[in-house]
Amino acid sequence: MKKHEPIEPKNLTAQLAYRGLGNPPTSHPSTAVSNSYPGLEMDFRNVWKHIFKGIELLEYTNLVIGVDKDADEKIKRLTPEGKGLHYELISVDGIHMTAPVTGPSSQHGQQINFTISLEWSNALAEILPKAGQFVRCRFQHNQNQKVIVLDLQVQHFFDVDMDRNGKVIRKRVVISKDLVKPGDLTQSLCSPWQNDYRECGCFYWAASRPDFVNVEPGLNGKSSGNNWMEKNREPQPNSQYIIDDFSDTRLVSYDELFTGWEKELRFIFAGKDEPPLKKSSRKKKK
Amino acid sequence: MPVKDIIEIRILPALAISRLGSSPLPMDNFDWEIPDRVGYRKIIPAETFHIDTNTGRIIDFKKPEKVQFRDSRNRIRPIAPFLELWGRFSVNDPLVPVTMHHLKKLGLRLSDVHWRVLVGNNKAFRRTKDPNDKILSDTGGFEDFKRKSLKGKCKNFLPGKSIPFGFGQFIKPNLQFPEIRFRFTPAGGFVYGPPSPPGSPIKEAVYNPKHKWKGYRDLDSDPTTTAPAQIFANDLSAQVRSLGYLDDECDGLIEVELHCKNKKLRTFARVVAGPPAFAPDGAPVRTVHDDLEQALLGHAITEKINPDDISNIIRRAMETVRLINTSVMNDKAQGMGWMDRSSYGRAAEPIMNPNVVDNLAILARHELILLSLESGSLAWFARVVRHFNQVGDLSDEGRRRMPALMRGADGGHLALTRRMVNKILQAADLFNQHKPVRTIKKIVK
Repeated sequence: MKKHEPIEPKNLTAQLAYRGLGNPPTSHPSTAVSNSYPGLEMDFRNVWKHIFKGIELLEYTNLVIGVDKDADEKIKRLTPEGKGLHYELISVDGIHMTAPVTGPSSQHGQQINFTISLEWSNALAEILPKAGQFVRCRFQHNQNQKVIVLDLQVQHFFDVDMDRNGKVIRKRVVISKDLVKPGDLTQSLCSPWQNDYRECGCFYWAASRPDFVNVEPGLNGKSSGNNWMEKNREPQPNSQYIIDDFSDTRLVSYDELFTGWEKELRFIFAGKDEPPLKKSSRKKKK
Repeated sequence: MPVKDIIEIRILPALAISRLGSSPLPMDNFDWEIPDRVGYRKIIPAETFHIDTNTGRIIDFKKPEKVQFRDSRNRIRPIAPFLELWGRFSVNDPLVPVTMHHLKKLGLRLSDVHWRVLVGNNKAFRRTKDPNDKILSDTGGFEDFKRKSLKGKCKNFLPGKSIPFGFGQFIKPNLQFPEIRFRFTPAGGFVYGPPSPPGSPIKEAVYNPKHKWKGYRDLDSDPTTTAPAQIFANDLSAQVRSLGYLDDECDGLIEVELHCKNKKLRTFARVVAGPPAFAPDGAPVRTVHDDLEQALLGHAITEKINPDDISNIIRRAMETVRLINTSVMNDKAQGMGWMDRSSYGRAAEPIMNPNVVDNLAILARHELILLSLESGSLAWFARVVRHFNQVGDLSDEGRRRMPALMRGADGGHLALTRRMVNKILQAADLFNQHKPVRTIKKIVK
């Protein structure tokens, strides 16, 4: 039996890695996806919405979508009443929150020229250590280009205890209550969650939501296998991968997922389907 | 060790992932073994708590003969994690699990440990912005061992209706397992909604259809819709109207309060209820743990790199790619190729040369990197890894950066966390001393 090893209070890495006695690895955040668009177990983007005190950001772009009721009047200028939501956070302490989108356009000979809001987790990596401090935030109106510059306080990402002077005396590896309330981490996921298995392809989270299974070298030497959502798997080497299409009746439908996801979705071990489900051992009443 | 005082408490793990399943029998515990460096992880049985849910008593703690993900009726067994109370008894002590023996020495009883579970599902609220669409379960404080039903209540539900979010239970310590622990058990993974015609897939009608969620639409004029938008059960019409369906996923807090004689100590952990990991012998290439680690330690690497960390990242990339039909995802009409065109009007082209993207070939390349990490192969990977600010580079070279063919949290091509990238760059330098790939500027505190 594993024994508990003491952990130094400052060894936050060990606390973050701790799994707990009796818990399988799939209960640990190291098995939960964070390329959230929107995510499976949670939409991790939601932890950043309130990272600057007084404002609420949209989880996936740099748009300001709210300010606190008791916020300073200067901050309230970001969401002027009746004028829509238009201010975007473009830099923090001189660090850009966006990046250019460039590449060849579908219009022959032309280049595309857009801007993408960088995901908060990476964009704010230099800012998080400044928790408790004020940082210079530059906002720009996305129509008239007007700029508002505000010094906003960075919230603590993790739960902390502070002394009278605001100095952190203790940090715990749990995400602060100031950042997310109950229900916030999962709020932007599919409703119901089964929709994700019908709508989001494998370019999101193949390790948790498999796509290409029962893969073997085919007769032409290339890989051959099944789409995980196929209802009837043809035995190798005749299997033909069915490209995802919600209207294809050979694939599991929305309603089948809603009512029977536990039977329709198969566990995959070593890349292969789990053994066929057993006939239920429940005895029918005569 | 003399115990005269307790100066702080924490709950570990601080964020526990529970996974839905309708079986009343929670999932066995298991471990991973890696018998072959490029093979699959082996799932091996590990000591599993069996709890009497009526009393909170630990029946036994033993390894199952075989790890079973389903019960005898094929129902999926939920992942129901335990959360432990840890504490420190003087300023120089390390954190250790708090036991009933510690409490006794402090003159406290088990009834001085007060738990509270606060979990919610704000999916409908996130769309409608009607606060009355928030579904919340609050047990209030309790200190007994009875299993508490987590009833998700909502003002816009039909009278008397709720969604069961699962259970919370204070586990009764004993002489063999004297630690203070709590168990969160998620719900079954059912779908709820408004009253619907016969044959509809909902388990129970709970939502009052006169409120916004039934018939809700994501409007183009609303800049605050989710991304992606329209990811809810809908009527499949051009208007994409919500059917008003809800689920029993949730997230929230497990709070604990220790009533000492002269003070109250409080702390909390977080729980999330999500779907099962359907390929449980692998892990995603980028995880919540990676992001939490970056938030905790920063993006720069200030310590000596651990080669196991690098193997782990490359292994996860391999475990991801082997479940992707890379040929299909490389197609201009699928996956990121299609996203680039539909989002930005990029020229419709495959991302890689179609002749070299077959799944088995790509998998072999990943295996080769993993097998020869310390003999220079990582240098190639380090040169082609995508940096966080290159996600918008849709040139041929930019789209071929690693990880390829996947989508990130900004909707662009996936980048790893900056900390993961810096680990790879630093390790590539370390493993390839004679041909440094990149110099990492170390932060000196």
